Amino acid sequence: MSVPSFIPGVTGRDEGGEKMKASGRPKEKGIRPEREGQCPQNPFQEFRTHQAPSKGDLPLDQIVQSTELVMDQIRHGYEKLLEEEAKELVWMVQYNTIIKAYEVAEKYVKEIDYSSEDIEDFCFALENTQKIPYLIPGPAGLYISALCNYAKEGEIVLKLCELKTEINLLGFRLTKGKRLVIEGDAGDFTGIGLEGGDMVVEGNAKNWTGAGMRSGKILVKKNIGLHTGEWMMGGEIFVGGRVRGLGNIVEGKIYEREKLVYPGKVRYSNTYY
Amino acid sequence: MLVRLSTSERICVVQQNGYQKRVSDIYRFISENLYFNRADLQIKGERYNSAILFSLLTALKKGKELIIGEPGLGKTTSAEFVSSLIYQFPLGVIWGSEVSGHPEQTEEKIIGRPDLGKLNEGEEAVVWTNFSQIPVKIVDEVNRLPETKQSMILDGVDRGNWEYLNEMIINDEYCLFATANYHDGGTNTMIPPLVDRFDVVVESRYPGPNLSFLIGKTKRKDQVLRHPRCEKALQGILKSKVAYEQKIPKMEQICNAFGDYVYETVGIKPLQRREREEIRAEMEGLELDLDASAFLRMVLAEFSFCDRFGQKRVVESCEEGCHYTGYLCHEIKNCASNRLPTSIKQYAQAVAWLLGDTEIDMEHVNLVIPYTLAHRVQWRDETIAQKERSQRDDPFPIFIAKESVRLVSQRYREQSDHVKDALAVASRIFEGESLETPEGDHPLYAEIRKDIDSRRN
Repeated sequence: MSVPSFIPGVTGRDEGGEKMKASGRPKEKGIRPEREGQCPQNPFQEFRTHQAPSKGDLPLDQIVQSTELVMDQIRHGYEKLLEEEAKELVWMVQYNTIIKAYEVAEKYVKEIDYSSEDIEDFCFALENTQKIPYLIPGPAGLYISALCNYAKEGEIVLKLCELKTEINLLGFRLTKGKRLVIEGDAGDFTGIGLEGGDMVVEGNAKNWTGAGMRSGKILVKKNIGLHTGEWMMGGEIFVGGRVRGLGNIVEGKIYEREKLVYPGKVRYSNTYY
Repeated sequence: MLVRLSTSERICVVQQNGYQKRVSDIYRFISENLYFNRADLQIKGERYNSAILFSLLTALKKGKELIIGEPGLGKTTSAEFVSSLIYQFPLGVIWGSEVSGHPEQTEEKIIGRPDLGKLNEGEEAVVWTNFSQIPVKIVDEVNRLPETKQSMILDGVDRGNWEYLNEMIINDEYCLFATANYHDGGTNTMIPPLVDRFDVVVESRYPGPNLSFLIGKTKRKDQVLRHPRCEKALQGILKSKVAYEQKIPKMEQICNAFGDYVYETVGIKPLQRREREEIRAEMEGLELDLDASAFLRMVLAEFSFCDRFGQKRVVESCEEGCHYTGYLCHEIKNCASNRLPTSIKQYAQAVAWLLGDTEIDMEHVNLVIPYTLAHRVQWRDETIAQKERSQRDDPFPIFIAKESVRLVSQRYREQSDHVKDALAVASRIFEGESLETPEGDHPLYAEIRKDIDSRRN
């Protein structure tokens, strides 16, 4: 095996004269030739002739660029939803409005390749960026629900504790096999129309939680508002704190601090107890 | 001696000898007639059932495969069919050579026993078992062997050396299949040294009610792999008292006759020993391309690195607040063994060869890593608790291995150029150039720095 010569004068430049990555530390000494015999194998031999195609972009730049591209697509879908569904900046939560808006949201979301982290970024962008014109909790929640339902990941964790606004309609139609964890508080209509999914709210949820849900599980670790489980057709709602009031429930179970409160005789719709 | 062929020569050889087609035909014959199951993995547009594919590759590559699954779902039979068609042994001989794991199992039943006739005459000779003599080794329900007895097969499994009294036979060509049920009252924990010796783990899965119904309905086609005359002749050779080395050519002769019979009966041509050796030589000629190599280094770094303690050790637990918390090293307890990269390369070579590719690329490596990792990694309890309820089709160890490989693969895609640059710079530093040590966040950069520092100091 030929022993490569050690050239004391060579600095951190490659053969083409291009500067190698600077680390800011003083240059380090090369391998002493007399030690070559001790470890004849160069474990990096196969990369010796590798030349990167472009040195312009740092990996971080590429990551930021690709994230921004995805965020632009997500934002575009949301703006389209607002254009089509909430032009007047007034948005009423009615069954037909929800269905229609969700279908529009689905249409745009299906075309985007995103990850659960992008959903979380979008939630923050809603409040903290000038690029998104307005945050309307209803459509925003529906759009986020569509993003969650079409995400590649089975489990989506949204850290929303630092958001000032509570987003409504999170977890709409969450499908079987999906798990949505909200770290923070959720707004009104959380988990409505749940279709077998598993939803966890680490904080509080407001009114109409689980309304019209068909199956699945909602766990609210703190308190829950009025009309809980209104017209729910199945599934279970677990509340770690207090339930302020129950809705008119068709079928399903509601637990408060591990105690079954519906079906049960002691509870009446929307009353304190 | 192996001669390394150039790419064009290799393509030429591939076209001429048609071994890939023959192996693909064997795969198709098994999946269509003998072992009904769904395809559960896909590569480059080809769909395969993992149990049959990895068993075929194990037989071709002289590997070791652990097949897990529920009772009665074809773990042993899949291995038997593959072994019969790749090694030309009739099923009767394979059945007669299997070792079954049970608490009363002894070295005498697995490896060999004293020749009592000769012992009476004052001579010491060993009667070797069929298991230790034939190249196809199947251990049924290996996890029913008590932990103390599992070590009996360690050396044989690892090196093909079978020792009894003061005699030894060495298998030049052998592959091993072991089946294991999920834990029940009669199973034991498999000792980590034995587990680590298996190259891959696969699950023989439930084929679904419709295919399962078909299994009960169709006439048994495995009769085609029976041949009483060949079986009797092979049994005769195996128990004859000539030296092991002399038995091998005799066995080959009968195996070839059985192979011809199978070809005449069903049109599938099993592989002769010379052909298997040629296939192995072709596979050995395939090398990892730069991306596959760099990616594999990233995987190995994440499964062995510990910033605080120098490397992962099963007795040391990971610190909270470590800079590398986001990497897989934070999620695991043990260190990847040196057998892991060997297994990955061997099986990736085999997959690349089967697909007719001239280099091992990321897709080949990505496909095999989860199956080589699943049984070797000990995950932290927190990670298991977090992920074991996830929706999935695979058993948990394979599922979590696939998930983690997907994560590393994503990380590699984001920084592949930088990683390859760093490895190139490291290579030049190793060869004496005075360059700055490459910097980066991934554990691989820290490992590169360690290698360079160990050479400098």
